[in-house]
Amino acid sequence: MKQHIQSIAIGAALFTLGSIGCGGGGGGGGEPDVGPLSSVDALVILQRPMRNDQGDIFQYTSYKPGARLVQLKPPTADGTLTTLCCDKAGTEFKDIDISSYDLSFDAKSIVFSGKLSANQTYGLFLLQLANGSVTQIATDPQRDFVSPIFLPDNRVMFTTNAVVEAGAPQHRDEYERGTTIQLGRVNLDGTHLELGPRNLSHRTAPSLASDGRVIFTQWDHLGPENSGHLMFVNQDMEELREGFGKEGTGASNSTLKASEISPGRFVAIATSRNRTINAGALIDIRLGTVENHGGVVSAPTNQSEANATYRLLTPDVPMDNSPSAETVGRYYDAFALNAKDKPDLLVSWANGPVESGVLASAGLAANFGVYLYDTEHQQRRPILDDAAMWDVFARPLATRTAPNVVGSALDARLGNQTLIGSLNVYDSSLHTFLPGEIYGVRVMEGFSSEEGFPEMFGTTMFEGQANLGVAPVQADGSWAAKIPANIPVHLQTVDVFGMSLFSEPVWFSGRAGEARFCGGCHERRTQTTNVKPGVIDALVAADNKLMSDKPRSARLNNAPMSATQIVGVAWNKLLQPMFDANCVTGCHDANNSAGVAGYTIKDAMGATLGSWTLNLTGDPIPAALAVAAGGASYSASYFSMAGPDMEAIEKNHLTITGTLKVYMNPQDAHGSLVIRKLNPTRLFPNPSTQRAFTTTPHLTALGKTDLSPLQFYALILACDMGVNYYARENNPGLNIY
Amino acid sequence: MKNIAIKIAAVGWLVLALVPNAARAGKGGSAAAIESAVRSTSTDAIIAEIERAESLMCEDCIQIVTGLTEDPRFEVREVAAWWFARRPALRDMLVSQFAADLPHGDTVKVRNAADFLGRTRTLTALPQLRATIHRGDLGVEARLALVRAVGFMAHTGGNEVLITAMADADASVRAAAVAAWRDMLGQASAQPVVALLGDRDASVRAQAAGVVGGMGEQSARAALEGLVIGDADPVVRRNAAWALGQLGNAASRAALVQASGDKSGLVRGVAKAALAQLH
Repeated sequence: MKQHIQSIAIGAALFTLGSIGCGGGGGGGGEPDVGPLSSVDALVILQRPMRNDQGDIFQYTSYKPGARLVQLKPPTADGTLTTLCCDKAGTEFKDIDISSYDLSFDAKSIVFSGKLSANQTYGLFLLQLANGSVTQIATDPQRDFVSPIFLPDNRVMFTTNAVVEAGAPQHRDEYERGTTIQLGRVNLDGTHLELGPRNLSHRTAPSLASDGRVIFTQWDHLGPENSGHLMFVNQDMEELREGFGKEGTGASNSTLKASEISPGRFVAIATSRNRTINAGALIDIRLGTVENHGGVVSAPTNQSEANATYRLLTPDVPMDNSPSAETVGRYYDAFALNAKDKPDLLVSWANGPVESGVLASAGLAANFGVYLYDTEHQQRRPILDDAAMWDVFARPLATRTAPNVVGSALDARLGNQTLIGSLNVYDSSLHTFLPGEIYGVRVMEGFSSEEGFPEMFGTTMFEGQANLGVAPVQADGSWAAKIPANIPVHLQTVDVFGMSLFSEPVWFSGRAGEARFCGGCHERRTQTTNVKPGVIDALVAADNKLMSDKPRSARLNNAPMSATQIVGVAWNKLLQPMFDANCVTGCHDANNSAGVAGYTIKDAMGATLGSWTLNLTGDPIPAALAVAAGGASYSASYFSMAGPDMEAIEKNHLTITGTLKVYMNPQDAHGSLVIRKLNPTRLFPNPSTQRAFTTTPHLTALGKTDLSPLQFYALILACDMGVNYYARENNPGLNIY
Repeated sequence: MKNIAIKIAAVGWLVLALVPNAARAGKGGSAAAIESAVRSTSTDAIIAEIERAESLMCEDCIQIVTGLTEDPRFEVREVAAWWFARRPALRDMLVSQFAADLPHGDTVKVRNAADFLGRTRTLTALPQLRATIHRGDLGVEARLALVRAVGFMAHTGGNEVLITAMADADASVRAAAVAAWRDMLGQASAQPVVALLGDRDASVRAQAAGVVGGMGEQSARAALEGLVIGDADPVVRRNAAWALGQLGNAASRAALVQASGDKSGLVRGVAKAALAQLH
């Protein structure tokens, strides 16, 4: 190990001397160019014992005792390494692991997340650099608090698995496995701890931008959407906005550990969600219109996801989870030393195959060391590499300018509610609406299995959902509604039949007292929304409270008396009785009495697994077809309506012959066969006999009694809320065992 | 191994009935990839590959993942059980096998069974888990797994398991039971935990302080005030300080003022913050 460090020292010294000798563009006036670290007195570096258990980018509980914060002065390989923490803090810190840190604006203190022993959680600590003393910031000792960053006004932001909603369990991630982490903030003295509104999956790696906003990585999962994007919030965790990665702008499945280069410009890690030890390629993201002033490149104006571009700074580094090659390796983090078009970066880099499986096979762990990376020439210069440790998050030990305190307007009158709405819902960059076709905006709450559900809500990969209600759109296109604070919701514009016209493909949430008003329905972010003079109609109209005053446990309805009282669609409780009463006997029974053409599922060799016809009974699916239903054991009616799990079909190389009909499309009641066949009646603003389609309603054609508005809407909601089997109304976790 | 073989045999009929031999490789996930990850010994790689195979059903996958339900590493058993949890038909086949291990199995079998039943959130197994915690012949690993199982289920039907475990001879079992108490869905009171504030083991006292604070158990105030100024362990004092802040009772002021001058950096800042929360 000593030899290794010595060789690095020689290399770094040569680099420094070479820079002085060769000169360069930076110095000017005949002064020697001593490189991008010339003005840096010392570096702060986190050293963690090497490990191989942190492949998942949202892993936050990894623990190995022996971490330390060190100072390297001068910032060269032959500089002096001094321990900053926690050797002087007391014996209770002897087994600490430290996962991340941030330097205060005055460079006099460091906030870090640390774990004192295996049976404790990660907490927040404040280190005083003057004397090495450490005090803990008060947080819940049974929850993890990680990724702290300083905010202006003596505050710290962090991520945590603590829950803002009293008594509610934390959401599980998109796999229904990991416990998610969300944003929060606290005063440096441990007072006034606030937890932010929740995403339905993880949030991680916050970083403060010079405009005062916080950029972080959010995992977005809603049906087919499944990737990690950069998002912004204000320092008070309000005004959530997209940053980078959606709408086809991303470089990889996951973008994380963004750090500002200059206004509107960030360096970040582009990688896969797992097996990459949190490491990947480096990308230079420009969120707005690129400007170059005297060699300082920024992108501060017209920042929007649609305008965002990126430049790959490490072309050979894989952005998926394949093993990286020798000399190519992967990058753990980066910090910009300047804002040149091709900037100089302090990076943590590990050589070779930085991939969990390959490393474990070889009995190795990634060896991250600190390097100076010249992105113009794609050259790394070694600074520090302790072969027993991860040397990560190198930062100059220097003061920096604190941005302004950026907050949002809170309306105390909202209490524990959030006000949401749009100025003109017809204004959308994602969908073109016909004039007058939108009746209202439906708000749906999302939840995962933490409430006691099985691991799957159905076969369609959608999370659990509860219909909070529909807010009518006014004549000027505006709408507004009060919803419960802090919960993930997503929106659908609906027509007078209650069917979705367009589904916004993300979850969002707001804080108590926050008013989240958009220009439209995902309007163009750089375009001004024109509103007629005066007060928008939605604010004049009646107060729309969409379960905003109901606690989580009350946001369900086991016995809806009318269509608009339906909250969750519990398949076996709300739909099956309808099928039993109207559809099964003599028609869509197990014998296919109606004679509807079916289909056969075959394996890749052509052998038949089973055949299926429209069967609306509540019987279990035959075991032979479970593979086509994702291995689940739902009812025959569910399998008939939802159809086979197409991901399972694809992954298992199955083929379908015959007449496959999927009767319910997730988030698309309008296009679902069952809805078109039954032809629902108008629901909004009041039920009427007007039909959605020109076809003869199926039950009418058969001379049977038609469905009620409640029954029609139950079917519509089943489609538009993802075609799930489970809802709160049939949550097995609420039973007594 | 015999146990695993029986389990594989049990699901074999289903596998043969529904899975084609050729259906072994899936886009993004495969039995070979899982097998490779298992060979690598990397827990991280195993987890990643099993997650990627969340929709994959193949004979080889089932055999490999079934084997992993009895892996010595909890993290591996956990993800293997999760994989089955997403395949209820197969899960149910294994549930009966694992549940059968609870009354008479040795420590390892009970450990594996409890982890499987817990992680698959097999709530119908709660009666058996309640009975098993009363067995007097199980090792610590099994008792911990029983606590872990009901903790993951988070159903108050598991309270009996936790209360029994709070009286366990082993401190790690008691601490785990205390920690799990708070997160049972709909848990109404932290009263059963209050007595554990006087436990002989510091880790148990620390967990108990966290629970009573987190649940706002006012009857614990006096005990917490005693701990915050008198306990020998700084983690216990810290947790007691935090808990008193959560209770917010002005009567705790004197104790917290004293604690704000504690010699440990773990305690001082937390006590000062707690003082600010007193009403």
